[in-house]
Amino acid sequence: MKRLTSSLVGISLLAGPIRAGLSTPPPPERPAPVAEVCSVTAPAYYTFPLVTTRTVPATGRSTGTVEMTFASSPYGVALDPEGNYVYDLHLSLERVRDPGRGVYVAWVTTPEVDEIRRIGPLDDDMRATGRVSWNKFLVVVTLEPSDDPTTAVWSGPIAFRGMSRSGRMHTMAGHGPFEDEKCATYGYSN
Amino acid sequence: MRGHGPRRTGRGVYAALGALVAVAAPLSAQHEMHNMGHMTMEAGWRMPPMDMEMPMLPGLEGAIPVVGPFLPGMGMDPAMFPEARPSEIVRMADGDTLDISVSMVRRTLAGHETVMYGYNGQYPGPLIQAPKDATVVVRVTNEIQMPTTIHWHGVRIENRFDGVPDVTQKAIERGESFTYQVNVPDAGMFWYHPHVREDVQQDLGLFGNLLVESPDPEYYGASNREEIFVLDDILMDERGLLPFGDRAPTHALMGRFGNVFMVNGRTGYRLSAARGEVIRFYLTNVANTRTFNVTFGNARVKLVASDVSRFEREEWVSSVVIAPAERYVVDVRFEEAGEMAITNAVQAVDHFRGTFRPEVDTLATVSVAADPATPDLGAEFATLRTHTEVVRDMDAFRAHFDRAPDHELVATLRVRDLPLPIVQSMEMDTLYVPPMEWNDAMPMMNWLSSAEQVTWILRDPATGAENGDIDWRFRVGDVVKIRIFNDPRSIHPMHHPFHIHGQRFLVTHVDGVPNTNLVWKDTAIIPVGSTVDLLLDVTNPGTWMAHCHIAEHLHSGMMFSFVVEE
Repeated sequence: MKRLTSSLVGISLLAGPIRAGLSTPPPPERPAPVAEVCSVTAPAYYTFPLVTTRTVPATGRSTGTVEMTFASSPYGVALDPEGNYVYDLHLSLERVRDPGRGVYVAWVTTPEVDEIRRIGPLDDDMRATGRVSWNKFLVVVTLEPSDDPTTAVWSGPIAFRGMSRSGRMHTMAGHGPFEDEKCATYGYSN
Repeated sequence: MRGHGPRRTGRGVYAALGALVAVAAPLSAQHEMHNMGHMTMEAGWRMPPMDMEMPMLPGLEGAIPVVGPFLPGMGMDPAMFPEARPSEIVRMADGDTLDISVSMVRRTLAGHETVMYGYNGQYPGPLIQAPKDATVVVRVTNEIQMPTTIHWHGVRIENRFDGVPDVTQKAIERGESFTYQVNVPDAGMFWYHPHVREDVQQDLGLFGNLLVESPDPEYYGASNREEIFVLDDILMDERGLLPFGDRAPTHALMGRFGNVFMVNGRTGYRLSAARGEVIRFYLTNVANTRTFNVTFGNARVKLVASDVSRFEREEWVSSVVIAPAERYVVDVRFEEAGEMAITNAVQAVDHFRGTFRPEVDTLATVSVAADPATPDLGAEFATLRTHTEVVRDMDAFRAHFDRAPDHELVATLRVRDLPLPIVQSMEMDTLYVPPMEWNDAMPMMNWLSSAEQVTWILRDPATGAENGDIDWRFRVGDVVKIRIFNDPRSIHPMHHPFHIHGQRFLVTHVDGVPNTNLVWKDTAIIPVGSTVDLLLDVTNPGTWMAHCHIAEHLHSGMMFSFVVEE
């Protein structure tokens, strides 16, 4: 079980983004957060990694995770009226150097990238928390020129990306006992 | 048919079973088997209805469960049995006696005349209404061919009347009687059902509600009227009810999902309302395994109470998630005239395609008239009440919320001798398992798994003891923190509605996130991968069961008992 730090409890989208002047020398690498004793223990099974795309300088050694807990619900599991799970996402990045310019902003999108929702800027500890009611989704962290909460779509490069564990679901066609069923019949190319 | 108690399903109970030999069929024949539902297979089995767009799992053509088929009155003319009638209300005062006979009845469901069971020939059984703190006497006579008992679900009853065979009483054999003294210390909606082969007896109609009335006239907020909503489903094909397993349940992996939805034992349930009417719904889920996500169209829904108490605070909700055995009380205001569907709306997993897909089934239809309701309770309905009495009651327990657990449980399972294609499919499925199973995504695979091949497990990691070997002892007055982890790394994890007999508990945390609006429960959902903290208020001496309330999981071993001493 992975432990979240207490700073992740609650929705905290308003923490300050990283802003750095062009003339500022790169600060040292941020240390990995110290595991604190706290009450939040997200299910390890549904935790997924945020992987660097190496498209942004100084992120080559960075790692990250997204932990998921159910949104507050009187039923133990949180659902929307259509039956989608409602999750609180807890993003954290480690070993991230200051990019020198711009702001890291987190987003969540469908696998088809036809709907995008802005989670918000990562705080000084490289963390952000947001809510999603999709069953399969991608989380991306982009380097935006500024922190503009009205922006509906990212414009900067994708620095980190991750996919919900549900995204691993693949058709059984072509596999195991269904090895002779054609994947393409079920919408997969291989 | 056998009853069960927690000690019966400990180690070494299951006899070795030969693997089901499945002969691979040519791929071209994979879809042909779908049409076998109308045919009687070997030994009287019929294949369960399947998604016709999904190929048959190769290697399972013609496969049947390792147990034999069972239906009550199999081979008999349903006309031999009296037609069941709707539930009747029985108002009981302290000391009153009710006679209940458990008998075979004739019912027509989805166009099929079928033989089922009934309490006093009714579906559901009689709605018993009694005042809080009363003791009512219920004399039960068994007239069906199986032994039975009645468990008074959620009631902090005297232990010897809890209805668990071989733990609190001997099962009631055919022709015998047992007299229950039912003391009801808590107000709210409870229910009663057998504790012998629930997968059969409960599924076939043996359930009823027990409404315990508070002496406080303002216990609930104002409503224009009240409706009982007993939610259920049942598995049928074009010939009627699918047979059950005889010596052990089928559908042991996921439980027996039904494909016919019922409210109060009826399909196509309808009710009418006036515009602006506030209706209090008492929801009870009596299904074997299905968890419902109940929506009320565009009506506003206020969550008021659950199993053993009201919530600390009323709150607005967009739907009601209700697992087997849970109860919820909601006030619903129908503000717009017209027809409105009460639905079960879920995102089912299509394991074969690797996708989620919406499934919406209508549970009932409400016709809202244009004429306004009288009196108009709009203002009262708009107010969310805080139940200070409940908050005060819980205050004594808050100091325990954040302390370390006294006991832990891990939920997992073992399988043996399942056909190889099923094991292969389950292994592929472990790429992703959802927190909840809302549908039977693999009906053939599920049907072929019997309780003789699947052992669902509650393990105490402190001792390694499993199920009937768990030995917990408490004293009256203890407050016990129990942490349950539903291990997602097993071959086929699934959520569990975990029920504790004879006591009440709070769900204080889910995955470490504090619950901000508490309610006393007797049953709570443990999602896959999650860690759920329960705080047990130990008030009632005796030997009590704790178990998963998916009937097929219970009968696959997922239960234990604990002792409470004076």
